[in-house]
Amino acid sequence: MSTIGLLPKHAAPPKARSFGGGTLAFARREFRDAAASRWFFLYTLAFTVLAVAVSFMSLSGTGAHGFAGFGRTTAGLLNLVMLIVPLMALTAGAGCIAGERERGTLLYLLAQPVSRTQVLLGKYLGLAAAMVCSLCIGFGISAGVLAWRAGGVGLGAFVMLVGFTALLAVAMLSIGVLLSVVSRRTAVATGVALFSWLVLVFLSDLGLMAGTLLFRLRVQEVFGLAILNPLQAFKMGVIVNMNASLDVLGPVGAYASLTFGSMLPWMLTAVMIAWTVVPLAAAVVLFARKGSV
Amino acid sequence: MIEATHITKRFGRMTAVQDVSFTQEHGSAVALWGSNGAGKTTLIRCILGVMRCKGSAQIDGIDVRKRGRNARALVGYVPQELAFHDDVRLGAAMIFFAGLRRVGKQEAAAALKAVGLTSHERKRVRDLSGGMKQRLALAIALLADPPVIVLDEPTSNLDAAGRGEVVEMLRHLKDMNKTLLFASHRPDEVITLADRVLVLDRGRIERDTTPAELWPTEKPVQVVRLYLTMASEEDAARVLRDAGHAVHLNGQGLCVAVPRDRKAEPVHTLALHQIEVRDLEVLDDVRIPEGTS
Amino acid sequence: MIRASFILLLATLTGVVFPTARGACGAPLLTDEYKPMSALADLIKAAEPGAIILVPPGEYQGHLIIDKAITLDGRGEVVLSGGGIGTVVEILAPHVTIRSLTIRDSGEHVTGEPAAIRAEVGPVVIESNTLEGTLFGIDIREASGSIIRNNTIQGKDLEPGRRGDGIRLWWSHNCIIDNNTIHGSRDMVFWYSEDLRITNNIVTDSRYGLHFMYSHDTTIDGNVLDGNSVGIYLMYSNRITMTSNSLRNNRGASGYGIGLKDCDDIVVTSNALLANRVGIYVDNSPSSVDSTGLVESNMIAFNEIGLLATPNTHDIVLTGNAFVENEEPAATHGRGQLTSNSFSHDGRGNFWSDYAGFDHDGDGIGDLAYEPRSLFGAMLAGEPNLRLFVHSPAQQAVEFTARALPELRPTPILIDPAPLAQPPTILTAVTEPATNPLAMAAAGFGLLVIAGAAAFALGRQPTLATPAGRSTP
Repeated sequence: MSTIGLLPKHAAPPKARSFGGGTLAFARREFRDAAASRWFFLYTLAFTVLAVAVSFMSLSGTGAHGFAGFGRTTAGLLNLVMLIVPLMALTAGAGCIAGERERGTLLYLLAQPVSRTQVLLGKYLGLAAAMVCSLCIGFGISAGVLAWRAGGVGLGAFVMLVGFTALLAVAMLSIGVLLSVVSRRTAVATGVALFSWLVLVFLSDLGLMAGTLLFRLRVQEVFGLAILNPLQAFKMGVIVNMNASLDVLGPVGAYASLTFGSMLPWMLTAVMIAWTVVPLAAAVVLFARKGSV
Repeated sequence: MIEATHITKRFGRMTAVQDVSFTQEHGSAVALWGSNGAGKTTLIRCILGVMRCKGSAQIDGIDVRKRGRNARALVGYVPQELAFHDDVRLGAAMIFFAGLRRVGKQEAAAALKAVGLTSHERKRVRDLSGGMKQRLALAIALLADPPVIVLDEPTSNLDAAGRGEVVEMLRHLKDMNKTLLFASHRPDEVITLADRVLVLDRGRIERDTTPAELWPTEKPVQVVRLYLTMASEEDAARVLRDAGHAVHLNGQGLCVAVPRDRKAEPVHTLALHQIEVRDLEVLDDVRIPEGTS
Repeated sequence: MIRASFILLLATLTGVVFPTARGACGAPLLTDEYKPMSALADLIKAAEPGAIILVPPGEYQGHLIIDKAITLDGRGEVVLSGGGIGTVVEILAPHVTIRSLTIRDSGEHVTGEPAAIRAEVGPVVIESNTLEGTLFGIDIREASGSIIRNNTIQGKDLEPGRRGDGIRLWWSHNCIIDNNTIHGSRDMVFWYSEDLRITNNIVTDSRYGLHFMYSHDTTIDGNVLDGNSVGIYLMYSNRITMTSNSLRNNRGASGYGIGLKDCDDIVVTSNALLANRVGIYVDNSPSSVDSTGLVESNMIAFNEIGLLATPNTHDIVLTGNAFVENEEPAATHGRGQLTSNSFSHDGRGNFWSDYAGFDHDGDGIGDLAYEPRSLFGAMLAGEPNLRLFVHSPAQQAVEFTARALPELRPTPILIDPAPLAQPPTILTAVTEPATNPLAMAAAGFGLLVIAGAAAFALGRQPTLATPAGRSTP
């Protein structure tokens, strides 16, 4: 029965694949897994349906007029993105390492000629690609609706929104992956991810609102605190790139536009990138230093 | 080929492996023998560089900590039970791991053929029997023809037929001059495969010996493995030792050495103490090493 | 030769002065050299009052004073350049007409208020001129009965605080300001000037599109005021009627489409107020006890605040307006309500796009009164810095909480007892398509292609079955 003797013999001793190649292999596998998974399907479906619905509804008032100021559609899509995309990305990231650990598959992967950094980065990139695909599908179909109804958002604004949303997704994914690395179990990682979502989306803003009301915070203080939240940075980034000014956000926005001028879009983009890079780097370091599987 | 130097691994206050050093020659087969919790699995994981530990391990002169990817490229690893994503098809799994080891589809197909799984290429991992899973793990380990194969109790979850298949394949590998390091709790496997046995007890190497020394075959004694209901093994071992038997407890039932013509005696003894014996199995001509009882 | 004689004859008959035969024949004089302005002054000196001077084509540099009633016509071929110093053309006599000239490069510093054209007396007619790079454009002082039309004015490229006014009227009544286009200046401003007709002008990227100071009894019709700090700002000016103007994207620090400060008997009808920071801002208007204001049939849409008013605002009647998708339909400047104004007239209120009621009896009027009670809006009135949080889930959370806990709901800021069930048909001055559908469709298709390409590149399920003939080394 055994034909092991027939195995091809290799002249050279086996070598590990290059860092990038191994990482890409993991990314592809993660992408495939994600794309075939139920959560991915449901999130994509939910996002697409809601984005299309928002595009429809926000257009209903403008059809005859053909004019839409700062874009109700954009505002609606902004709200939608800020609710759903962090939820998608945080939970997807949270399951990424903790899930493999819990199923016992992580050990087997690590016993292959790969480094922990490759496993982590590969999985991260695969998930990120899957997320961006999901967003492209949702935005792509709603762009079709917008084209059909002729209005709502300018093309540049729309592309900007898609780009920043992708940035938001990868930033949230970084946080999720970090949570996944430090959590022993998937349930814990997912729980913490959901709580983080609550904090980022609601609690930090509500807290800052309360702080603004209670302590009469000055504009620069409100701005400084708000910009720490990646979701606020995302929102401001979309608006400033669309309007060339944050004046729709009242005195705080006007202050920011006046003070930082043309630096502002770059600042906000930098905040988003920092929220992408720092948690991911922390995840890589913590994962590499982990003593056990 | 494999060199372990002062490997120590602690989990909290528990020391799983304590100051283990050994050197394994190229082409040799070394068995790690010991009861559950003796540190076999932990030692293997440290040698693979999957776990961080004190001391160092080298494979073919490559430090697994500093250059883990390159070191592991020389090693094929077979776990106790293959843990890989359940809904991946065999072919896809082979290609994924082939990618990590820089070999192509042909080698992947050849490895699958060598373990006799070619016709199951379209099956998903979850649909495989235990024996097929271990054959798949072996196929993955043999990709890229690595000089070292490390196996962690590769047969413990298999039935007799599956065990036979795997042992047969391993014997072929030994004939092909592979370096084998394996943990086992089955004396027959050790005797069949190993040139050398490292007896581990509470994380230390107790004896560095050969199967022939460990189990001299001249005494007319056979080993009976008793399968008990849960949680009664400790009691049973005490009872049998009190009755004058050599007992070995390794988590896979209870091994008792008995004269050839009195194989039912331990069952009877246990019945007297109201300990139920679920099943028994007579092992081939081996004996329990005196040191471990 | 015959043709030249004919023109000369014509000139003699009509009193038109042709300074040179060459110019008269229309052969363009293309010389790199500036002509001295004195050449033009000499022509004026030679002309009889009432003469029409067809200025020889070319570029004249210097400072020109017109002190008799003549017409200067450049037929689009004449450039008068101030060379960056002082006012270019100064009119010191009534009944002067300046037509089809290009005037550029006045002085830059505000001292002396250098302008392209300044009239110290009137009436004058300033028409079809192109003014560029001048600090002030057309400055009319005590020149009642003047007509300013069809001019294009481009302000000096200065930071907004240092710009001059595009058109300024000072103590000049009964004037017509029609079809001028102003870009990048300070204001089109009217001081102490009454009975004006301001129609069909376009003012963009300036400070105040139209700015009234103590100027009464005027009609403002069909103007487009886009991208200024404020569209129309009326201060201390009474009996002004604004119809069919389009006020868009006026988003400066105050950012009003229409701002009213201490103005009585104002009528605002059929205007489009779109995407301004505030659609209509009312500060203490009407200021007299017995006067009113009427805001009727306007499209007020996509502004951050549709109607913003100080709490002491009273006796304004709003009817038949469409408040569409404003971030806040109405707000007070400071704490308080707008309930001393009428949001309906003769049983006809306004359309509010956030109205949640129904019209069961089908009479076009919603069955329930419109009473906006936004908790976030109330918070904004108290703390404007909170506007940072609009367009965020947190804002929704606040409103949701207020809906769930009625004791948190603020008192309604206004009550419209007869809200319209359908938006009224309002003819607005200008509409424009927001998006090119084809480009948007392409963008959507592109995004789907990206998703598909990624899925193909990364997501292909590999299989071991290699096609025959292909092998991996």
